[in-house]
Amino acid sequence: MKQTSNIEDRTSNIELPSDVGSLGVWRVLSRILDFVLAGIFIYAGALKAFDPVQFASDIDNYKIVPWPVSVALAFYLPWLEIFCALGLVFRFLYRGALSILTALIVVFTLATIAAKVRGLDITCGCFGHASQHWSFPSHLATNLAILAAVLALSFKATRGFRSPLPARREDRYD
Amino acid sequence: MKSSLVGQAVILAALALLPAVGEAIYFRDKISWRSAIAPSESVTVEQARAWGHNAIWVDARPDDEFASDHVPGAISLNEDRWNELLPQFLAVWAPGKKTVVYCSSLSCNASREVARRLRKEAQLSDVFVLEGGWEAWLKKNR
Repeated sequence: MKQTSNIEDRTSNIELPSDVGSLGVWRVLSRILDFVLAGIFIYAGALKAFDPVQFASDIDNYKIVPWPVSVALAFYLPWLEIFCALGLVFRFLYRGALSILTALIVVFTLATIAAKVRGLDITCGCFGHASQHWSFPSHLATNLAILAAVLALSFKATRGFRSPLPARREDRYD
Repeated sequence: MKSSLVGQAVILAALALLPAVGEAIYFRDKISWRSAIAPSESVTVEQARAWGHNAIWVDARPDDEFASDHVPGAISLNEDRWNELLPQFLAVWAPGKKTVVYCSSLSCNASREVARRLRKEAQLSDVFVLEGGWEAWLKKNR
């Protein structure tokens, strides 16, 4: 009985933070967000990687870069998206992947807005021909939602939501 | 792997370069680095005119531009009303005929897109994009 009482005494001295529950929820949510974003970028990247000729044409439609640059980007960007997405799934080069995805989605969004301002009626090319008939508002809304998700994960990975508990393996960002 | 954010980004960027280079080599015959239209898929005004009645002229510009003026005998086929206009084009198309697609100018994309769809969706061969488009045709015919 005395031993039990000692254990009770010791456990009563541990102060559990009140936000441990919310940290757990956020941990699960962020992991789900990792997979959702990875799925989006792998899907978008794979569609474009399978048809680089079409994607080069889509980039050229924006009239921002000369044709040879459009071709180079058409070969390169889909793979960059896929590798960054894999980085999110496997937490490999995680912060680097998030920073590249943030840059990509910002550039894509600015290019879309610039095209609209210049009166270009073009397909975005984001998801190959699957996005052929997207309107400007839906395109913009999708981009902004993805940007918000990427920024939320970046915030968590860099400085946000530090748990007072010892870090789990899945909470380490390599 | 512990490394700085920039270091991680550089590693990812370098990794993506490998399959990209491989794909560029694989697709080297399917895409031109110099022009959006492969030389074998474009035609000059002179060449197209020399084909005479063997050529079907397709106007890929919007309806209002087609209505205001177009190449004599040209058929309107644009992406806005693709499903509606395609049967009209197919009605005059015949095997062995060459299709010449044009849009407004050198910088427009509509002719390229319509030509691509004719090749891919309608499975047609001998589809060419007119170099310089409607502007080039006007220059040579005025």
